Amino acid sequence: MKKIRLGCGSASWGDMLDPAVELVEKGEIDYLGFDHLAELTMSILQRMKNKDPKRGYIPDFIPWMEAILPKAKQKGIRMCTNAGGANPEQAAKDVLLLAKKLGLSGLKVGVVTGDDVFHRLEEFRKRGVKLPNLDTGEEDIDSIYDRIVAAHVYIGSESIVEALSKGAELVITGRASDNAMYVGPMVYELGWKMDDWEKMGTAVTVGHIIECSAGCAGGMSNFWKEIKEPWRVAFPIAEMYQDGRAIITKADGSGRMVTEWTVKEHLVYEIHDPKKYLMPDATADFSKIRVREVAKDRVEVTGIGGTKRPDNLKLTIGYKDGWIGESEISVCWPDAYEKAKFCEEFLRGRFKARNLSIEDVRFDYIGINSIHGPLSKMPENRQDINEVRVRVAAKTKTKEDANQVRREVTHLWTHGPVGTTAVISPPPPREVIGLWPTLVPRELVPTKCEMMEV
Amino acid sequence: MADISPQGTGSDKMRNDGGIGAMKKIQLKEIAYARSGDKGDVSDIGLMAKDDKAYRIIKEKVTAEKVKDHFRNIVKGDVVRYDMDTLNSLEFVMYKALGGGATRTLAMDQTGKAFGPNLLRMEIEVED
Repeated sequence: MKKIRLGCGSASWGDMLDPAVELVEKGEIDYLGFDHLAELTMSILQRMKNKDPKRGYIPDFIPWMEAILPKAKQKGIRMCTNAGGANPEQAAKDVLLLAKKLGLSGLKVGVVTGDDVFHRLEEFRKRGVKLPNLDTGEEDIDSIYDRIVAAHVYIGSESIVEALSKGAELVITGRASDNAMYVGPMVYELGWKMDDWEKMGTAVTVGHIIECSAGCAGGMSNFWKEIKEPWRVAFPIAEMYQDGRAIITKADGSGRMVTEWTVKEHLVYEIHDPKKYLMPDATADFSKIRVREVAKDRVEVTGIGGTKRPDNLKLTIGYKDGWIGESEISVCWPDAYEKAKFCEEFLRGRFKARNLSIEDVRFDYIGINSIHGPLSKMPENRQDINEVRVRVAAKTKTKEDANQVRREVTHLWTHGPVGTTAVISPPPPREVIGLWPTLVPRELVPTKCEMMEV
Repeated sequence: MADISPQGTGSDKMRNDGGIGAMKKIQLKEIAYARSGDKGDVSDIGLMAKDDKAYRIIKEKVTAEKVKDHFRNIVKGDVVRYDMDTLNSLEFVMYKALGGGATRTLAMDQTGKAFGPNLLRMEIEVED
């Protein structure tokens, strides 16, 4: 029975490079997929492109390709990446220049576009598409309309399949779904029909399992204590069989582990309704999924179902939504907790006295309650607390006020309690990009693929 | 965790109703694992029972209402539970959970990654 081996080379912008290189060298893979995009990433990339039309794709893309492309080309490993972000055409042009420099003549690159609908929003509205906010239920997009900076639709794998069938060795997309990087090659290689919903549900689910790189191989794991050499991170491989059975594994001799538990950990991650895992290529159903360890670092996944793909695609609109200013400072024993309270009172009073345009403010006592918030358990003997790091974050209307928030924290160095210290250079004020998730009918968002060659 | 004495109200009721033995309180971390993440302002927690018996317990005890109450000062919206019987796992989807979402929240845990471990603090009553 035909099978293919697909490796995952990245889960996000800024992921680790060497486990991806290890997969190319030792993974015996046929395909390598890369996901670099998170919800916020698209807005950041769009704004990079607005400033400079030659930017707007993932900046890591070119150095990564420099490290991977020659070996991948030599071994015949084909790659799919959404590193194109807000500017896949430019990413393709630049990687072709790189390939030329590396002497990789004849390299075929496919570029998938159609996801960027920033200039089409007015057209959608004229067609009667309402664009309500799925998170808040707000119907009226007029409230943010003049502050929109980016609008990208999560697209599926149709144009990736087309690019592969035209011989692409590297497919570059914009906001294609994470799992499309794997669904595309599975469909193309295993001859699955794109309306065979059980197979498509399987492709989407297996793509989901591996798309978060080490997420199914000991990353973010409850089983972290079992990891012997934490620095040896391994990225996963899906061995996909034509009948829909999959084995999740990793390169021989690589670090960490793939177990029934590490795969399960990722199956329950960020999925919402397990009977209706909505993705552009299918609605996956893993309510009857079976996960079984068949050998060391080999986990079999079966029993995945699927139903028709959704008629609407998810559209994420990013819009300007004020500023955040934040900073931190440390207080120490004795009376560290009480000193932290003093700092909070100082800052609240200063913000008021300066009349800053604060819409929301939050104080965290790092070491006490910064992560579990009101559910944190207070240490039994407050007098024994060695230190507290006081952190404040405030949402403001203006950049100037966000900047003033961090300046006021610095004043605690000299105007706070004895021993207040560890002033760092605070992060610069950051502009908030609010996200407006909505839906758009699939037929309004055709995608296309263009082929380029060195 | 301190045991509840057999004379306690909760266990008395159980004993009278069903003839079940003494009850004790445990934290979920003793019988389950969890992982959580985000999609916009929604946070998902996958709660994985350590074995079949533990799954029967969490399925009965860890209701959506109980999870909503546990996170009452953090999660502003609804909590919906989905059961994943073949994985011995429950999925909790929590709306308006992340202060407007990762890009605009003031919280340090922008993506709800620590919500899973936080759920494992929850105390439930089980047979001793």
